[in-house]
Amino acid sequence: MQSREEVVIGNQAIARGLVEAGLEIAAAYPGTPSSEILPGVVYFKKMEDVKIHTEWSTNELCAFEVAFGAAAYSGARAACFMKQVGLNVAFPALLRSREKTIEGGLVIVSCDDPGPQSSQTEQDTRLIATLFGIPVFDPASPTEAADVAYYALNWSFENKVPVIIRSTHRVSHARESISLYSPGARKVSLQEGHLAGTGGKLGIVASGMSYSLVYDVIEELGAADVVSIYKVLKVYPSSEALSDFVRSMERVLVVEETDQVIEALIGDHKKVMGRSDGTVPSSGEITYDIVRDMLSGVLGRLGLGRKDLFAPDGTIEEALSDVAVIPRPPKLCPGCPHRASFFAMQYLWPDAIYPGDIGCYTLGISQGAVDTCLDMGAGVTMAEGFYDAFNQDGKLVPILASVGDSTFLHACLAPLYDAVKNRKRFILVLMDNSTTAMTGMQPTPQTGVTVDGVKTRSVAIEDIVTGLGVKYLKIVDPYDVPLMIGTIREAFDYLKGDEMLPAVIIARRQCLLLTKGAVKEAAYPVDIESDCVGCKSCLATFDCPAMSFDEDAKKIRIDDSICTNCGICYYACPVQVKGKALRKLKGAVKQGAK
Amino acid sequence: MKHEIICAGIGGRGVLLASTILIEAAITSGLKAVASDEYGMSQRGGSVVSLVKVGDFASPFIGRENGDILLAFEESEFYRTLFFLKKGGLALINTRAKGLPSSVDALLKKRGIVCRLVDADGIARDEGMFQSANMALLGSFASFGIAPFTREVLENTIRSRVPEKFLAKNLAVFAKGFEAAGGQGAVKIPQQGV
Repeated sequence: MQSREEVVIGNQAIARGLVEAGLEIAAAYPGTPSSEILPGVVYFKKMEDVKIHTEWSTNELCAFEVAFGAAAYSGARAACFMKQVGLNVAFPALLRSREKTIEGGLVIVSCDDPGPQSSQTEQDTRLIATLFGIPVFDPASPTEAADVAYYALNWSFENKVPVIIRSTHRVSHARESISLYSPGARKVSLQEGHLAGTGGKLGIVASGMSYSLVYDVIEELGAADVVSIYKVLKVYPSSEALSDFVRSMERVLVVEETDQVIEALIGDHKKVMGRSDGTVPSSGEITYDIVRDMLSGVLGRLGLGRKDLFAPDGTIEEALSDVAVIPRPPKLCPGCPHRASFFAMQYLWPDAIYPGDIGCYTLGISQGAVDTCLDMGAGVTMAEGFYDAFNQDGKLVPILASVGDSTFLHACLAPLYDAVKNRKRFILVLMDNSTTAMTGMQPTPQTGVTVDGVKTRSVAIEDIVTGLGVKYLKIVDPYDVPLMIGTIREAFDYLKGDEMLPAVIIARRQCLLLTKGAVKEAAYPVDIESDCVGCKSCLATFDCPAMSFDEDAKKIRIDDSICTNCGICYYACPVQVKGKALRKLKGAVKQGAK
Repeated sequence: MKHEIICAGIGGRGVLLASTILIEAAITSGLKAVASDEYGMSQRGGSVVSLVKVGDFASPFIGRENGDILLAFEESEFYRTLFFLKKGGLALINTRAKGLPSSVDALLKKRGIVCRLVDADGIARDEGMFQSANMALLGSFASFGIAPFTREVLENTIRSRVPEKFLAKNLAVFAKGFEAAGGQGAVKIPQQGV
């Protein structure tokens, strides 16, 4: 009984499948590309008027354990959602849960990030699942993701075993029309096997988005009548039919993201081409062009090529070689309050040690105020390690760690308590923007709002910081750049004193995406046209996307369409004709010059 | 009918809304379509590319020199994504410029690419809707009448997607964009093979 169609992204499709399968408990921690699943559950539970408990947990381990607790002994149908590196956080509980310990049903959705586009590492959830014997599905489209989600929760419930759905950002963020069914009414037939192409000379085995890509490229190359394509949906445990398919082919090419999983399960290195023999690139996202080049090459080598091979038209790049294209590397948004925080941090000690963390604030690297990016929470703990290393030699050097508010709550409580207990001296700048900005504005425990939009008790970061034993705590508006710089200096003086504790500065100002737009209380209007001397130092120390260098005028150019009028870049100007506040930027001009 | 469409621009300027309108327009016209919201490290001011494929495709990816239509919501993003466009494709560019660099002009001519420069920002600004340049460019695209992306279908999709209080202004910007491209003498684009 199909009710209607709706255009959704893959993550919403997963949410839909789970809601239709009778989901009762859902917990998640946001992380690209998984963040839209939980809001999807909220959207569909309201649409269907069904009762589902939904929550943003403080980290992935919490999310997993909430879902597991509900599924284990109380018999609920539960799910948890996270990105691939989030699964590492939930790892201890995941391994224990794989034993047949649940009464209900448990689906873990872990979204991988081939590339990686917005993660610190590539990582293949399918590999972890396969290593530890947990059933894992790899859907190839939003439509299939909805079906698999529905099937997996029911299968888990019936078999009392947790199931993992691995998505990738190309599936999670693909958009297409899916069918919506009434809860319990979806008819799913899993599409797996030799679904396309013919011929026994070359068989391609692919899963997930790699399958969809192979399908399109084979169509373009007109090779469907000489190549057989086998689609894998359930990666582990793999099916007998896959072994039969491999046996029936002269050569087999395995295309999958991001590690060798199906390839390793098949074995047979004489017959199989893939990552192990270098046919498929060893890392990075598999794109259309990569698949087209790869298949053209393999078809040619096996004497199966029909059409003229694709040859790129190099004159495109030639024609563009003299065209100035504005580079757009990832940067903090125009007007971001914490661009000002980073500016203040690097102003005093351009050569200080800057342990950084995960999220928007990794981007402080371009302002010279972030040196490291390991994992969530490491901004604090690595600062401790740096302190110890210098302290051994009797040196106290400026160490300025930075971490966002959501990351602080996710992973930094134990590290900060450790720092207090073990008497580590460094400055922690806690960049509080009142949200989880990089993943799409999810509320944090401090916000006091649930994923359903209901008010709840909020937790103040400053109470936590003092509760952990920190004595030096200052809360500063980062737009007040002089005060911010003065406070950092004062904090370092404190570190030289007798207390032997870390100093914490909460730089607090809401994310501009949250306040939606322009900054009304702009401190100083920026009069670049008349005042700029063209030294470019602001580009190095402030790094705002609204600023570029106009080579003709030899002045900074402000892009009015994205400038928020915050006026903070004024502080980054070393000449400051109007003569307020700061003048001397140590080291900055040298960095900025070409 | 098959179309491979590239929407390129910068974050915070409505590229994703434009591509969503395109895919929904195709789907409400009864066609199969898939899109890719390519927003990895999306932030205001960063490059955003969203791909829309109409027809019997499995993946939302577009290969180099396979794209039929390139909607560039910012001039520099046009250059960054031009490699997607096939010979004989169509490009619409939001720019104040009256012409492109001569080397690019020659390339487009050689590759038989039809190109329209539209001051979508200017059109939107004149209507007091600076953030609606995407609607102006969609309007210009509608003037080519490439099925299913006719004026009527796109306007209806905009009605279903844009909040009521911004709707009238958005449709006005869309209409101005439609006229702007028509004024430059819209050419008939041969329909894609079935």
